[in-house]
Amino acid sequence: MKGVQSILFSQKAAPYIFILPFIISLSFFWVYPMISTIIMSFQDIGTGYSEFIGLANYEKLLGDSVFHTAVKNSVLYTIFTIIILIPLPMLCAFLLNSKNVVAKRTYKSIIYLPALVSVVVSGILFRYMFSEMDSGLMNQILNFFGIDSTQWLKNWGTGMFALLLLATWRWMGVNTLYFEAGLSSIDKVLYESAEVDGANAWQKFWHITLPLLKPTRIYVTTISIYGGMAMFLESYMIYGGNSSPKNIGLTIVGYLYRRGIEKNDLGYASAVGLVLLIVALAISMVYLWSSGMFKKEDK
Amino acid sequence: MKSSKKVLTYFLILLMAFFIVGCSSNSSKEEEVVGETTTVGPEDGAKLEMWLFVDLHQQFYTEMLNKWNEEHPDKQIQINFTVYPYADMHTKLTLAIQSGEGIPDMSDIEIGQFPNFLDGEVPWLPVNSYVEPYKADLVSSRLDAYAKDGNYYGVPTHVGAMVMYYNKEILEQYGIDYTQIKTWDDFTAAGEKLKEASNGEVFMTSVDTGGADWLTLAMSQYGESWVEDPENANVQLKSIENMLTMQQGWLESGIAEVTPGGQIDTEEGYATVANGEVAAFPKASWYMSRFTDYMPEMSGKIALAPIPVFEEGQARSNGVGGTGTVIYKESENAELAAEFMAWAKLSEEGGEKIWDILGFDPVNTKVWSNDVITHNPDNKFVQYFVNNPFDVFLEIQDEVNLIKTVPITTTINEAFNLTTLNEVLENGADVKEALAAAQEEVDFEQE
Amino acid sequence: MSQNNTEPNQSSLFDASALVATKKVKKNKDGKRSLYKVLINGFFVIMCAIVAVPFVAGLFASFRPGQMLIRNGLNLQLDFKNWSFTNYGYLFDGSTGYLDWYKNSIVITVISVLLTLIICYFVAYGFAMYNFKFKNFLFFLVIATMMVPFEILMLPLYKEMISLGLIDTFAGVILPGLVGASTIFFFRQFLSGLPKELLDAGRIDGSSEYGICVKIIMPMSKPAFSAMAILSAMGSWNSMLWPLIVLRSADKFTLPIGLNTLMTPYGNNYDVMVAGSMFSILPLFILYLIFNKYFVEGMTAGAVKG
Repeated sequence: MKGVQSILFSQKAAPYIFILPFIISLSFFWVYPMISTIIMSFQDIGTGYSEFIGLANYEKLLGDSVFHTAVKNSVLYTIFTIIILIPLPMLCAFLLNSKNVVAKRTYKSIIYLPALVSVVVSGILFRYMFSEMDSGLMNQILNFFGIDSTQWLKNWGTGMFALLLLATWRWMGVNTLYFEAGLSSIDKVLYESAEVDGANAWQKFWHITLPLLKPTRIYVTTISIYGGMAMFLESYMIYGGNSSPKNIGLTIVGYLYRRGIEKNDLGYASAVGLVLLIVALAISMVYLWSSGMFKKEDK
Repeated sequence: MKSSKKVLTYFLILLMAFFIVGCSSNSSKEEEVVGETTTVGPEDGAKLEMWLFVDLHQQFYTEMLNKWNEEHPDKQIQINFTVYPYADMHTKLTLAIQSGEGIPDMSDIEIGQFPNFLDGEVPWLPVNSYVEPYKADLVSSRLDAYAKDGNYYGVPTHVGAMVMYYNKEILEQYGIDYTQIKTWDDFTAAGEKLKEASNGEVFMTSVDTGGADWLTLAMSQYGESWVEDPENANVQLKSIENMLTMQQGWLESGIAEVTPGGQIDTEEGYATVANGEVAAFPKASWYMSRFTDYMPEMSGKIALAPIPVFEEGQARSNGVGGTGTVIYKESENAELAAEFMAWAKLSEEGGEKIWDILGFDPVNTKVWSNDVITHNPDNKFVQYFVNNPFDVFLEIQDEVNLIKTVPITTTINEAFNLTTLNEVLENGADVKEALAAAQEEVDFEQE
Repeated sequence: MSQNNTEPNQSSLFDASALVATKKVKKNKDGKRSLYKVLINGFFVIMCAIVAVPFVAGLFASFRPGQMLIRNGLNLQLDFKNWSFTNYGYLFDGSTGYLDWYKNSIVITVISVLLTLIICYFVAYGFAMYNFKFKNFLFFLVIATMMVPFEILMLPLYKEMISLGLIDTFAGVILPGLVGASTIFFFRQFLSGLPKELLDAGRIDGSSEYGICVKIIMPMSKPAFSAMAILSAMGSWNSMLWPLIVLRSADKFTLPIGLNTLMTPYGNNYDVMVAGSMFSILPLFILYLIFNKYFVEGMTAGAVKG
């Protein structure tokens, strides 16, 4: 008994015991379903039957124009959210750190508030703000500037705008907080010595702030890629369901949901899911690798 | 240790919140209103679980169940009803069937979703023998809607005959007699007149980008169907082309508008009708309850009439929508459930309640010609509309066709409701090209 | 100097420190600097106003009859003649399961936050403080799980829950989400920033590995705990898809599912939907107001070291 105890309490065994819950959860709630999904993607599955059909599901995906629309929407949404939700929060964080800001905490708290609201509630709010009626807020704004009311949720551009505005509204504060945290970890001495060398504000930002924010940037970009590619509920709530005119709001996960749950085609849905997984993993791995994330441990 | 005290404080706050909420909800339970699950019937009755997606249907089932229990002391039933939103209920049912667990004894299934639930090995009880006693009086196309290989798996609720709803007040104001409109040409002419007379304020009708009712109507009128051959659906039909071309023309000349909300059975649609923006629109019989529920201010202004046709002699209606109730064949009380359900929905007394409570045209046509029921002056629908709805139903009784719902129908509807109708009606795309694109999308699913 | 005169009115609404700041500016007679100050504060004031718009519009709508939301959309009109508190009345009169949903959401949130924090802390501790075989591979898996959208695993997971008998139980909702990769990631970031010498010092004092973890490092990790408490409470309170699939009975629904069920035109649901939505935001707002300081601290502490 004592032997067992001393092994359990040894410095060698401790890390394994610490990460044991992760291993268990990983195998039950990740590895097992993952394998099922992979198997199902090679099958034709209906109620009470399933048969192996090889790569047929994947071949079908290649010619599936609706799926291509979904991929296009997801990828563009991801790119746009990154274009908006990396520089803007960075700028906000930078400005917040300025000595001239009079109510830093109040600003920060208010900008963060939307993140507390569920997709369901914020989706309901945005859906009706973008109402096609003249009395909807966004149309009132258009009318105020003398522009005719538009059917926001019926065209690709305006629909994407609604989704992006929702994303920006919800995540602006969170990302600002991340960058703000990153900023506060930068040694003030660096700025002071730069000032001694005669650097202006822009040079300080470009040569000190930006490079030193890299870890934060990597983290935020990674979660943005993941979040963007897996976006579904936002579109589901804004369009009041999983169908949008001309599929302008359809995302990859939305298509997976349509195929797997709404149309009961588990095999094909699994193939959609795996393609999504491969694309998302590839993008984020390339990104992480190119920014030297995995080399860090050795340094 | 100061901050751990704080953490404790927050935890206590949370707990407090929990108890406050917990207590208040307990008190609400004492008033016997719990969530959306309702149990009806005696404790010692056969217990059945039923899922539905429309609140009002539960009221109907409850009344029929109480009546059943009164009349059948030896066959007492207790049903536990759960009402889910439309999409969630069908999703949950799909998941339950896939896993083989947690399937309810009975469930309502919407007609458009029904083919999904007949795929592969059918988990439902064929109800042929239970339907038999009523069959002679039933509109048989409604039974066929839920059939596979000669077996009826769903008990239908209504016929859903399409009629034209005219805003008589507006039309009279601008000197138009809707009873004289027999063909679409008459309809278009009336629209022109209305546009002139009202200075473009009132549209004759509104066309849908989010629903295929106009199209199924057109097919019905020409006797066509896009799923004539269920394995080889064809959407490039003369009927559809004519309908869409006509609608495009209406939009161009300002006779019609695109329905806000995509189709008239939405909150935006109700607003359009209630504001008097449109003078007429075709919709199924069940839309009557939308009038009484959501547009009480329109009482006494709306008349029902047969729908215009392209050429004289064509069918003036089409059956739209529907709910089939399925019975899980492994259920302990499957037979009792089937017996009850067939009686509740298909008998004359059931039909009476379907009309009274739900405002539907029952599948049992005995009800249609029973003046005591159809002209009951206390009935809210009889009171609401300018003319008696059943006068119209009886007139078109033999013209209510049905465009069958088959597995590929979901794909067709998706292609039209999401893409084709938007292209044609919002963007003015060429009808033939749009239909060819739709056909391509459909073919992709049925190679 | 006109900017300086308008400044206090504008900013004192927000923060007492504004007054102090203004005094400083008055000392500093540099015109360019005060212009910059007006611009930068103006930027944030406008941004805060924009952020607040959907809340205010939602609040307004919650006072109007629910149908108006659908028919007119959300807007900022002050049409007081339509306003009343009846919608909020519906929440508490028991005509819907709203209070049950509220209670369920609280129960699920409290339990899963407590368990998630403890478990993820331990796992992250293992990753941050030790070197062991397969560590990089296992940590790669942590990131990999973050990269797999939950929806892919949803259907097999659902089948699994059935075979484990966890369908329609809170355990079924909570269990799969307990070991959250992002929470581990975050804790690890925080813990990596602590000096490893603390461990050696603990060992010299004779503490066991677990003793060090619980008695020495855990108290130091409070900021990270507070931040993660809020983040995972948010996640749990707002999660929608998985509970919808696991929970069957209406009396077990959580708030997001319940609110979503109200988005149907049949029945007078819109009244409850909009008021219920606004009211569902409240607990998190309150928590956020109380926790705010710890939250920001925790966030900062965790993201310091990449």
